Amino acid sequence: MLRVVVQRLLLLPLLLAVFSILVFALVQAPPGDFLTSYIATLAASGSSVDQAQVEALKVQFGLDQPFAVQYVRWMQNLLRGDLGLSLEYQRPNAELIGEYLVLTVVLALFSFVFTWLLAIPAGIYSATHPRSPLDYVLTVLNYIGVATPNFMLALILMWGAFSWFGISVTGLFSPEYIQAPWSLARVVDLLRHIWVPMIVIGIAGTARLTRIMRANLLDELNKPYVITARAKGLSEWRLVLKYPVRVAINPLVSTIGWYLPQLFSGSLIVATVMNLPNIGPLLLRALVGQDMYLAGSILMIYAFLTVVGTLLSDIFLAWVDPRIRMEQ
Amino acid sequence: MRGRLDRGALVGIVVLVLALGTSIPSPQAMAQTRTYKEAPMLAEQVRAGKLPPVAQRLPEDPMVVPTVESVGQYGGVWRRGFLGPGDFNNYHRVVYDALVRYSPDGTKVDMKLASSVQPSRDFTTWTVRLRKGAKWSDGSPFTADDIMFWYNDILLNKDVTPALPGWMRNRDGSAVVVRKVDDITVQWVYKEANTTFLMELANKDSGDRQFAAFLPSRYLKRFHAAYADKAQLDRMVADAKFKTWVELLAARNHPPENPERPTMAAWVPATRISDQLFVLRRNPYYVGVDSAGNQLPYIDTIQFKFFADAQALNLAAIAGQLDQQDRHINIVNYPVLKEREAKDKKYRVILWPTFGGTDASVILNQTYAKDPELGRLFQNKDFRIALSYAINRNEIKESTFLGLGEPRQPVAAPWHPYFPGDAVAKKFTEFRADEANRMLDAIGLTRKDAEGFRLFPGTTRRITIEISVVPAFGPWPDIAQLVAKNWQAVGIRTIVQVRDRALHFQMRQSNDLQSEIWNNDTSGFPFTGVPKYDPRSLLYGTLTTGPLWKAWYDSGGKEGAEPPAEVKRLVELIDTGKSANPQQQVRIAKELFQIWVDNMMEIGIIGLTPMVQGVVVLNPRLRNVPPTLGNDWPLRTPGNARPEQWFYR
Repeated sequence: MLRVVVQRLLLLPLLLAVFSILVFALVQAPPGDFLTSYIATLAASGSSVDQAQVEALKVQFGLDQPFAVQYVRWMQNLLRGDLGLSLEYQRPNAELIGEYLVLTVVLALFSFVFTWLLAIPAGIYSATHPRSPLDYVLTVLNYIGVATPNFMLALILMWGAFSWFGISVTGLFSPEYIQAPWSLARVVDLLRHIWVPMIVIGIAGTARLTRIMRANLLDELNKPYVITARAKGLSEWRLVLKYPVRVAINPLVSTIGWYLPQLFSGSLIVATVMNLPNIGPLLLRALVGQDMYLAGSILMIYAFLTVVGTLLSDIFLAWVDPRIRMEQ
Repeated sequence: MRGRLDRGALVGIVVLVLALGTSIPSPQAMAQTRTYKEAPMLAEQVRAGKLPPVAQRLPEDPMVVPTVESVGQYGGVWRRGFLGPGDFNNYHRVVYDALVRYSPDGTKVDMKLASSVQPSRDFTTWTVRLRKGAKWSDGSPFTADDIMFWYNDILLNKDVTPALPGWMRNRDGSAVVVRKVDDITVQWVYKEANTTFLMELANKDSGDRQFAAFLPSRYLKRFHAAYADKAQLDRMVADAKFKTWVELLAARNHPPENPERPTMAAWVPATRISDQLFVLRRNPYYVGVDSAGNQLPYIDTIQFKFFADAQALNLAAIAGQLDQQDRHINIVNYPVLKEREAKDKKYRVILWPTFGGTDASVILNQTYAKDPELGRLFQNKDFRIALSYAINRNEIKESTFLGLGEPRQPVAAPWHPYFPGDAVAKKFTEFRADEANRMLDAIGLTRKDAEGFRLFPGTTRRITIEISVVPAFGPWPDIAQLVAKNWQAVGIRTIVQVRDRALHFQMRQSNDLQSEIWNNDTSGFPFTGVPKYDPRSLLYGTLTTGPLWKAWYDSGGKEGAEPPAEVKRLVELIDTGKSANPQQQVRIAKELFQIWVDNMMEIGIIGLTPMVQGVVVLNPRLRNVPPTLGNDWPLRTPGNARPEQWFYR
């Protein structure tokens, strides 16, 4: 077990090096560069820039060096743990990402808990009461949940909330708390706003998880060990929870590590549509504006967390299910 | 819409501009006899001894700002939306922090931080006099040294300014001389006559992240290599993750990025534009007062709220969460806004149509080289005129501009002194498909294929035009579709390609666009800034009329493509206009428009709509907002509406 973990950790730098090349290639893939998209943005809001101004902007943004030089500089800094500077924000990337991190993690945790608290019981109920009216209701809801893109759901909710109640459900805070320092009142304000995005982000996962849980559990319920346990007189729900649920939940546990990068990424489209102050819109902005150092930094952290998350999943799985062996 | 501005007042921009130096009544007499009043929050600070009294904070001759309806009252928050750090012009438009500024109707230039600007008789020397005793927002004196610092250490420093901007360059390429006369007086000395100086100066704020022509020198010297201790400066550069001191200086100089940087504007940043809420607070040292002697601004605070997406911002406006918003309000939402206005009464909507030109034009690339046969067609004036006749502009106006605006060519508006008359403004805008067909036949495009599309002469190849369009501003993709439909109807196959704007710009620069939809908003300013009529500003600027012409001018005729005679004439006219007297400028501008339209350099479609930041959502309690306003980027709308005199009832 320990050997596997150590091996995996040793592989990490190599994987990240490969990722860094991929990330930079992808960030650079769209035509033009930061300056082109910067000037295009200015023009699309009414101003136009002349040659002298373009020359000045190049110097002001440090873009007068050839691309290769800029890339090598970025890599060197990255090796020293320095994420560099965001071109658009003109602030250090580490500082920016740190600023957005808290709310990103809080929102992701909320929707994670929402998903699991709802999906596991619903899945168990559906499996133990197959073809019951409630099972059918849950099944239909699940299909809708899986099939509806969550940004669509967000738009519908926003529209509904506005046309019936005249409120806009965007953002995570009331205006007076947006810039305020953390306080009890601010936390309460956050709790008042967070449930809508929590549901929107969590709903598709909930539906998917419920379906998987139901299917897995149905497979287990007919196995001989269940019949044996029942014959021995175990009460029905203790039986179900103690044996088949633990087996059925395995595939889900194995995906738990994948939540680590998700915790960090923020739900990109939903967060943009609902105007949530998390890392999703920050990344989208950086990609669209070709703010290569910021986009690169976020994607590198994302890659790092994915690798670590997968490793954690494996460790976790081995712990939950003693049948799993890690030797090669 | 026509006649909405007082025609009688418009004797001609420049006539007024030139008279200005003397026409502004000096309020000095008032300064000595009047006592000034201030906002309660500032009075409190004065009582607490944290701030000097208002009379000491104001200059000897404060700027008296006329109010639109009445003298107002202090207080309130102005909520506005913005789209992130790249949206800094949102800030610059609101504060319009410049030495002189355009009037609300956009037809003259008024004094702001300067008390007078006087040309010499031959227009080669311009003397700028600052308001005596004016102070930066940190209370430090605002003097001629703040202009000289910009001139000596920013403009003439090759590290900071690699290329001289046009307005600071003599015709021989040398830098215009700026010299200090006394503590509050500075002179610009040109080698040739310059009649556009005031209009240039009115745009030398920090807009577009440029260095303004006046800088807080005391504050900024710590970031400048010529003044700062090298070791200390290097440390600051490294700490902020910059590579050079120039990057650091530029970032620390840009007010929205740095609340510590003093400004002269009515409101100063209290947070950064990279924050979720970008907050501006009143400047206790602002130089403006109303006619009753109340120091401006009336409104205490401006809150810019960050929206990740323009649609979310529009929704907030519809929900009545913004107190004044023009920028990023999409004209497509106009019907919804009107419906909710009547129902909820949380806001009212007014329209500020664009300042002339067009809000949508089709431009054909006359130097298109990838398909030489197509390029030759684009060079044919009759081809371009035929395509103009083929467009059903009224249909486009009704279905995409909701009936707002009018079919026209990209020339000055009827209320502008440069207006060349309807004969030019409306030329070739009638919908005459039969005439279009006749003209296309006449230039030899008679053969058609089985589907009715015209072929290149002597081949079986279809003529196919691609219109590249960016989903910016308003309903451009829809307009492109309608134009394509109209052109197909006269046998020209047309494809609409919607592109990301960065890609579109990239292709414009590399001469890869066949045609595009864009707007022409420079009709009021053909001699200053970056006019879209000037082929030399093509590269990053503006329209794809002929990207290779710019290379030809830049290389002195060695590279690129030689422009046709009419384009050379345009360049000549623009250069003459820069040093011509006002009456001549009017004549020159009219000739310029005549050439532009006669040669169909740009196929104008619809103009004078509120497409570009002209749909204005207003809190009903907000007063003194002008119902009509010149609306354009050089005017820094809504900054030219004098927001410092807006107030809440």
